Order: sequence, then structure tokens, then C-alpha cells
Amino acid sequence: MKQSDEDINNEIADLERRLAEAKARRSRQPPPPPPLTSSPSRPTRQNLSNHFHLLLSDSALPLGSFAFSSGLESYLMHGKTGHHTHTSFPAFLPISVSSYASTTLPFVLSAHRDPSFSNLCELDDAQDATIICTVGKRASVAQGRALLGIYERSFATAPGVSFPRQATDDLKQYSRLLKLQSGRADDGGPPAVSAHLAPLFGAICRLVGMSLEQTAYVFMLGHVKALVSAAVRAGMFGPYQAQKTLAGGTVRTLITAMVDREWETRVEAAGQNVPVMDLWFGRHEVLYSRIFHS
Amino acid sequence: MASSPFPKSSSAPGEGRIIAKLLPEGISGLEAFTYQYPLKLISPSRPSEDQSVLVFLLSYGGGLVAGDNVNLKVDVQPRAKLTIVTQGHTKVFNSPTPDIVTRQAMHVHIASEGALCLLPDPVQPFEGSVYEQTQIFKLEKDASLCLLDWVTQGRTARGEDWSFVRWAGRNEVWTAGEGDSKERLLVRDAVILDSNKSHPELPELRSSMHGMGVMGTLLLRGPLVKSLGEFFLSEFAALPRLGARDFRSDAAKKAAAAAAAAAAEDGSVSPREKWRTQRLEMESRSKLLWSAANVRGCVVVKFGAPEVEAGRLWIGSMLEEEGSIAKHFGEHALMCVR
Repeated sequence: MKQSDEDINNEIADLERRLAEAKARRSRQPPPPPPLTSSPSRPTRQNLSNHFHLLLSDSALPLGSFAFSSGLESYLMHGKTGHHTHTSFPAFLPISVSSYASTTLPFVLSAHRDPSFSNLCELDDAQDATIICTVGKRASVAQGRALLGIYERSFATAPGVSFPRQATDDLKQYSRLLKLQSGRADDGGPPAVSAHLAPLFGAICRLVGMSLEQTAYVFMLGHVKALVSAAVRAGMFGPYQAQKTLAGGTVRTLITAMVDREWETRVEAAGQNVPVMDLWFGRHEVLYSRIFHS
Repeated sequence: MASSPFPKSSSAPGEGRIIAKLLPEGISGLEAFTYQYPLKLISPSRPSEDQSVLVFLLSYGGGLVAGDNVNLKVDVQPRAKLTIVTQGHTKVFNSPTPDIVTRQAMHVHIASEGALCLLPDPVQPFEGSVYEQTQIFKLEKDASLCLLDWVTQGRTARGEDWSFVRWAGRNEVWTAGEGDSKERLLVRDAVILDSNKSHPELPELRSSMHGMGVMGTLLLRGPLVKSLGEFFLSEFAALPRLGARDFRSDAAKKAAAAAAAAAAEDGSVSPREKWRTQRLEMESRSKLLWSAANVRGCVVVKFGAPEVEAGRLWIGSMLEEEGSIAKHFGEHALMCVR
């Protein structure tokens, strides 16, 4: 039986409609993952963040961490001069990590959760008000400026890498403010921003795609690595013992426990939980001989 | 809104208010002065000194019991000077459960050229106590603040040694917003002492205090304590270097000591140098440690000592030697550090 023209026309119209719908459905779906065997011509988001994760956790990251002992040198000297009886690295490590987490980690977490320009400035200003010793302030600012420099000169300019636009703009604005005021005469008030390490670390880790948990862990591990390398430099033990300490269960479970403890801590509630640490830090300035800046 | 069958209460428990102002005759007085149980305030009606108006901050029964909530608001009006002291340690009694927190809060506003001197006795938290303290200071232009905040290990006679459940203290110094300018945080000094070990490798609270029996903070800001702040910074810079070796022979040491003694005899050593020598001896004998730093226009001094009395002697000696607290606020400002 011969189909009428109308039926054919209807069928064509129906097929065209279904084709259009199917095309629309396909465009709404995410593209399929590239096959594992092929080598991608440009990095995917996942291995990009992995790459920067490794860079930021590398002890070769030139923040100058090796120059700071976070109070270890002063602690040793106070022990030697009879101010406390038992002096050892296994005794210093947990209190140093706990103290660093309770004073500093909330600033990292907050910057990662909200890396906007305004929050970054507020966090930096609040942390500047919280670090009540000259030596600690110097260490935090030196490392923060180094990290910002590394981001600007190495990360942001890396070919074939693109970071989220808003986040890079926020950091650009922050950096501009920092440069603007460093050339300005001191009018008596504290500077708007100083480039403390913790907020910048949180914001930059977020920008390269690291998770909040990874960021907190890497930040605390960085502190432990700096302490261990300071201990090696101060002659407390050798590099194999250093690696044994880093690989040991104490470091791992300690960092996890500290991240858990500070996960919800607001920056307003951050504070010193080992008060003698402030004294050792502050009194680093009265040591007769020093090999570290803190 | 349903109306309550009870008469409206205008104040909550432990509320207190102090307003200090400059009286017409040019001395400082109190414009308002109210308090409520468990807080008690006393101001001598016939003060012996008039550099500043004196208020005793007390509590009924000489301490704070579990769940007490003290909330003091202080206003220092332009050019007025207020001194707040205590009568003995602020005892904090034990809490039946850790969720019953004993709290003290102080909110202070100091107007232009006004000044507050707060040199109280230390807080003495008992075994099992849970305590939180917040002290917020907002300073207008050229306002001055001298604040001492110190805490002890507890009742040593009963074997207490940082045996409380938790002690958290926070001091904040802000510039008060005036006109277009926003208020700004200058210093936040927060200490959290918690008996809850968050990891098995962490030491007990008492051993993390490394033998200290008292820990204190002195915060200074403003024109009336400028010289005092500089004094602390210069004395800190002049501390003998820790770990310095003495390479002199015994004979040379003896000769130097004899020369120093002779100089002290004939008066060629200044009283300040003599005082410093004695103070340094006392610091080393009592194992007192301290540091001082300029933080955003405030001077922050931290100190710790194994014995509470050594801490008191030290801070008292520093304040008395420099002299400006007694000059600006009167001798009565120093009664808790003597």
C-alpha cells in the first residue's frame, strides 16, 4: 500500500525531532573520560592538582623552611642552661605540632574554605595580630612572601596550565595590595596585609585543586619536615633517623589528630596551648649563638 | 508576644558596669557603678590618692563557683583614669561536669586620652575547674591601657599542678572606630590550656608547662605607658646572651668581680645598673623566663616562673623601677604586684 505524502512528511518530522532531542541530550552529558592508554595532550584537572600537590609538599619548595627551627634551637639551649630537665626531639615534636596546629591551622582551613580577596586580607590581618613575638612573625612573613613569589613566578606562568579565573584574580589583587603598601611610608597603623604563610597556603592549595584535607595535612607535614631537618642540622640525629621519624606512626597519627581537632576551630578561637613555646620563640633573640632564624 | 508573668529583669546574673569620668575639679571619679551577684565592686569613698579612681573587682565568697557568669562593662570617658585591682587570687572552683563552664568577660571602651590600669592578682583555677575568660579593649585615639593577665597552677599546698579541666583566656586590643575609620584588631592574645590530650604522644598538661607555676602576659598600649613599653623592650634587649661561654681565667673573673664590687661601693655604678644586676640574679635564681615584643603598636610581655611569688616579685620590680604606673595611676595601682 502506498503511503500518503502526509504520512511520510509526518514520519520525517518525527525523526528530525527525535534526532534533535538526542543531540541535545548528548550535549548535556559530560564528555567521556579519555582512554587510559592514550597520552593526553594537555593535563586533566585531576593530574594537574596531583602535580601541584607534590610540588607543595616537596621539602625542596624554596620557602626557606630550613632556616627556621620553630623554637627547637631555643628549646635546646634553655634545656642546656638548666631551665628544663628533659630535652629530646621526641619530647619536642608533639608539643610543637600541637602548638602550631592550635595557633595556625585554623587560618589555613579558613583560607581554603573561602579564598576570596576580602577573606584573605582579613585572615592575614588577624594572624598578624595573633603572632605576639617578633621571631615568629618574621618566620611566618618570610615564608608567606616566598610562597606568593613561587606562585606568581612559577605556578601562574606555567604554560598549558589554567587556574580558576576568580581565584587568580583574588591573588593578583592581594599581591598588588602587598606591593603598594611596602613602598608607602609607615603612618603608624599596621600594614593592611603582611603575607603570612598560613592564609596564603590555604588559598594557593585551593587554587591548584587540592582538597581541604590534603591541604591541612600537607601544611602540618611541612612543619614536621622543617622541624626534622632543623634537628638534623643541629646535629641531634642523622638523615636516616630523620626519615624513620617522618615515616613513623607518631607523625602520621599526630597530624591526623591535630587536623581533626582544629577542623571546626574558628580563627577567633585559635590560640597558644603550650605557653612556654611563646617564651622559647621570643627568647630565640637572646641566644648567644644561632644557626636558625627562629 | 506573650507577656511573662514575672517582672522584667533589666540585668542578667553577674552583670557589672563601671563608668569613669573626669570630674570638674580635674580628678577622675565614677559616674556609674553597678554590680550583681556573684560580682562585687568596691570603690573606696575616701581615696588616699587621686591620680586615678580605684575600683576593687571582687566576688562573693572570694571565688567563682561552677557556672558563674561574670560580665563587666567598663567605660573610661575622655581624660579619665581608672585603676582596677583585686584582693587576692581569683579562685575558680571545680565544675561537677566539664560542660559547666565558669565565665568571666570584660568589655572595655577607653575614650580619647582616657586610661585604664588593670593589674590584678592572678587567676587560680582549682582542680577540676572549667574556666573561660574574655577581655576586649577598644581604645580611641591616645587612650592608654596597662593590662596584666596571669594564671597559676592552682593550690600547690593541695598538690594541684595545672590540674584543672580547661582554662581558656583571650585578650584583644582594638582601635575603636571613630568617624569613617573602622575598628581594627591590634593584638589578640589567646591561651588554651586543656587537660584533654588529643593524641597519646602529647604530654599531660602539667608536663607541657615545663615546670612553670605561673604564666603571665602584660599588654601595654598608649601614651601613658609608652615609656614603660620602651623600658621592657630595652631591658629585654639587654638580657645576657643565653649559652654565652665565659673564656676568662679564674683570676680574671675574680679581678672583674672585685672591680665591680668596688665600683658599687664608691657609687660609680648607677642605681639602674645596680637594680639590673640584682634583678638578673633574681631571674636566674628563680628560673624566671620572659620575653617582650612590639606587636602592631602594643608591647606584649610574656613571663613564666616556677613559683607564683617569683613572678609577682619580678613584675612588681619592673613596674616599680620604671615608675610611670605609680606616677600616672598612683601607688594603689601596684598593690597586687607587691
